[in-house]
Amino acid sequence: MNPMAHNVLQIAGMTMREQLSRLGGWAFTHIPGLRLLWARTTQSVVEQQDVSWVPLRRRLPECRIAVITTGGVHLVDQAPFDMADPHGDPSYRIIPVGTPRSRLTITHNYYDHSDAEQDLNILFPVELLASLIDRGVLGSLTDAYSFMGHIEGEHLATLTGQTAPEVAARLKQERVDAVLLTPA
Amino acid sequence: MGLIARTIEAAGIPTVSIMLLRDIAEKVKAPRTLLVRWPFGHPLGEPGNRAQQLTVLHAALTLLVEATVPATIVEPGYRWRRERYTEPVDWPRGDGL
Repeated sequence: MNPMAHNVLQIAGMTMREQLSRLGGWAFTHIPGLRLLWARTTQSVVEQQDVSWVPLRRRLPECRIAVITTGGVHLVDQAPFDMADPHGDPSYRIIPVGTPRSRLTITHNYYDHSDAEQDLNILFPVELLASLIDRGVLGSLTDAYSFMGHIEGEHLATLTGQTAPEVAARLKQERVDAVLLTPA
Repeated sequence: MGLIARTIEAAGIPTVSIMLLRDIAEKVKAPRTLLVRWPFGHPLGEPGNRAQQLTVLHAALTLLVEATVPATIVEPGYRWRRERYTEPVDWPRGDGL
C-alpha cells in the first residue's frame, strides 16, 4: 500500500473511532438500560473485598478539602486525555485552586458532557465548594486532581501502582483533611 | 474512581465518593459512597440548579461526618428531574469529632 493511502485510511479509521466513541458516550449518558449493562460488563471495575478506612479528624469548618474528578477535566493548555487508547489513560492533571472556569475544558468521549460544559459544578464543584468556604461551612480548598476514568487492562496497574499513589502523596503533603470524588 | 478513593483512604485521608450506579458502587467498595442514580456526567445534578447541587454536597458532607462503617453506601433516592430542591440551611459541622 502506498504511504499516502495508508495515512488516509488511518485518519479515516481514527475519525470513525472518535465518532463511534462519542455516539457511545451519548447513548450511555441518556439510555439507562445501557448504563446498567455497562456496569455489569465493564472491565474497568474491579471487585474489591477489604476496605481501607480512616475517620474524619477535624470539624468541617476547619477541614482542607480537595476535589478529585474522573470526568476528564483539564486546563486548556494541559495535554488532553488520550482518547485513542481503548484501555483509557491512567494519567492525571493538577487543577490549581482558584483556576478560572474559562481556563478549563473536558476531554472525554465516553459520556455526554454538554451539560457539564454549561455548568461545571455538576461534576467538578470547586466553585460551589468555594462558596461554602466563604460561608464557613468548610475550612479551605486545595488543588484539585482530574483523571478520565474507564481505565482498563494494563493501565489499571499504572493507576493503582503509580498515579493514584502519587496523588495521595501530594494530598498528604498539602495536609488535606478530606477528599470529595466525583465521577463522569 | 473507587480505586482512587481506596488508595487515598489507605494513605490516611478520609474520602467521600459520589457514584451513579449501584452495581459499580457495590463492587468497588469505596470507603463512603453517596449514590444518586442519575445520568453519567451529572453527579451533582442539572446545570444551573444550585439548590440541587448544594443538596448533593450537603448529603456528601453529612456522610463524611456521620459514617462509621467502611464501605457505607447511602442512597437518598432523588429522582432525576422529578424533585424540587431547596438550598440546605443547616450544614453538618462534625462538632463531635
